Amino acid sequence: MAEARKQITVKGICKSFQNQEQSLQVLQDVTLDVNENEFLVILGPGQCGKTVLLNILAGLESADSGTVEFANGTPKYGEIGFVFQRYALFPWKTVLQNVEMHHKFQRVPKKERREQAMHFIRLVGLDGFENAYPAQLSGGMKQRVGIARAYATRSNIILMDEPFGALDAQTRYQMQDEILKIRSAEKTTVIFVTNNIEEAVTLGDRILLMSNKPSSIVREYVPELPRPRQNTDRAFMDLRNVIAQDMDLAL
Amino acid sequence: MKKTRFDRGNLKYYALSVLSVSLLLLAWFVYSSSANAILSTPMEVIERFAGVIRSPIAGTSLAGHIWASLKRVLTGFIVASAIGIVLGICFGWFETFRDIVWPIFSIIRPIPPIAWIPLVILWAGIGETAKIIIVFIACVMPVVLNTFAGIESADPLLLDAGKVLGANSRQMLLSVALPDSIPTIIAGMKNALSTGWMAVVGAEMVVAREGVGFLIISGMDNLDISLVLVSIVIIACISACLTFILNRMEGVLCPWLKLENK
Ligand SMILES: Nc1ncnc2c1ncn2[C@@H]1O[C@H](COP(=O)(O)OP(=O)(O)OP(=O)(O)O)[C@@H](O)[C@H]1O
Ligand SMILES: [Mg+2]
Repeated sequence: MAEARKQITVKGICKSFQNQEQSLQVLQDVTLDVNENEFLVILGPGQCGKTVLLNILAGLESADSGTVEFANGTPKYGEIGFVFQRYALFPWKTVLQNVEMHHKFQRVPKKERREQAMHFIRLVGLDGFENAYPAQLSGGMKQRVGIARAYATRSNIILMDEPFGALDAQTRYQMQDEILKIRSAEKTTVIFVTNNIEEAVTLGDRILLMSNKPSSIVREYVPELPRPRQNTDRAFMDLRNVIAQDMDLAL
Repeated sequence: MKKTRFDRGNLKYYALSVLSVSLLLLAWFVYSSSANAILSTPMEVIERFAGVIRSPIAGTSLAGHIWASLKRVLTGFIVASAIGIVLGICFGWFETFRDIVWPIFSIIRPIPPIAWIPLVILWAGIGETAKIIIVFIACVMPVVLNTFAGIESADPLLLDAGKVLGANSRQMLLSVALPDSIPTIIAGMKNALSTGWMAVVGAEMVVAREGVGFLIISGMDNLDISLVLVSIVIIACISACLTFILNRMEGVLCPWLKLENK
């Protein structure tokens, strides 16, 4: 990881929302860099504007001020993968049809997009479920579909918005292992949002801590921990405690 | 599409519905058996029903009358669904279109379909076309309104998902907003079918020589109250059948809805 090349440069993002008479300042001067192929975790308390920040990166919302620059040119829709906090699967489509949606929009011939989709369905361990509807799946399986669908765009950048936030602890640990496996198979830049310190330390090549509203990035951590990381490890627990203290201070 | 308390297949519900319907029949029987009642007894209605099946009325068999009404309803309903869905999509998706056409639409909307009967007869004569137009007017409103509502309230999260997957605006409409509206649209179509059925009876009561609405009128003209009651029961049964068929079609067309309700 010596030759870290900058892929995204975010400078001075501000964003507020107008609700009736009052305005709510959510992001205030968010500045950060994203390196190519790193697993960047953005850690922040609930309601601090994590989703808003990712939406701005994905182009779903626009910032009031500040800039987002991409080293390889601003991507069009369909060129950044997005995993939604609340899954956002199309309920009328099967698992396979959800995953191949991007290719369908691109008018890729049916046979080819089937193959592509099946590759990613196997990658997330859902083979056998390709003809199930989302309503038939558990939360963890739904998010696997969400992940497969995001990776199927074959984007260099995948944004994940608290993908495991709605899962129980057991499933959450499983999915963390899973996401690391997927990542070693498919090299991409991942920006992963969470409010869970342990999850951040388990996954991140680098961790950025966000403050409460109006939020900005207040700290950066680079865990020097060998993978696979154990949460019973001395160094793991130390880092977790440091971040917990900083987080209390930031609130 | 949440479960209502009427969906529960519990014993208490069935027992109470059997009880209440039995009480209604009993009340009918008791009242109609009294000396000065202007109502046929259940037995007379059943006899009349047997009579209607055996001998045609005004030269048309009972099945012929039912089919005449059904044909009008289904034609009007199908045309209204096709046009109504397209119109509703335009209202929901194209703001300029909505701003221009919606005011006109909202003036016409509250007029009861059967109020159009005199005008439609003047324009289209007393033939089949007139009745189909009345049914069309009755059916098209609920389809337009529900399609519009469905498209307009399409889940913003799913629209975002479509966007990040690279859908162009046509794909956003056809692959995201429209499928997301299907349950609402089907609800509108169910509504349309029952208002269409009401409208056809109304239209046939004014001008027709066959159809279930005509049966009611000929019962009235001949002071044949049993025939009026037979027709009313038939109308209720067919309406229930049509709703049942649409419910089944919904299950076949939208298999995921059943799963979500579990
Ligand atoms: N479109 C909007 N209009 C008005 N307010 C908004 C809008 N989007 C977000 N907000 C507000 O911005 C704040 C941050 O929202 P956001 O969803 O980004 O938080 P979050 O960090 O993702 O929270 P969570 O941990 O619950 O996912 C919230 O107070 C929310 O009410
Ligand atoms: Mg969020």
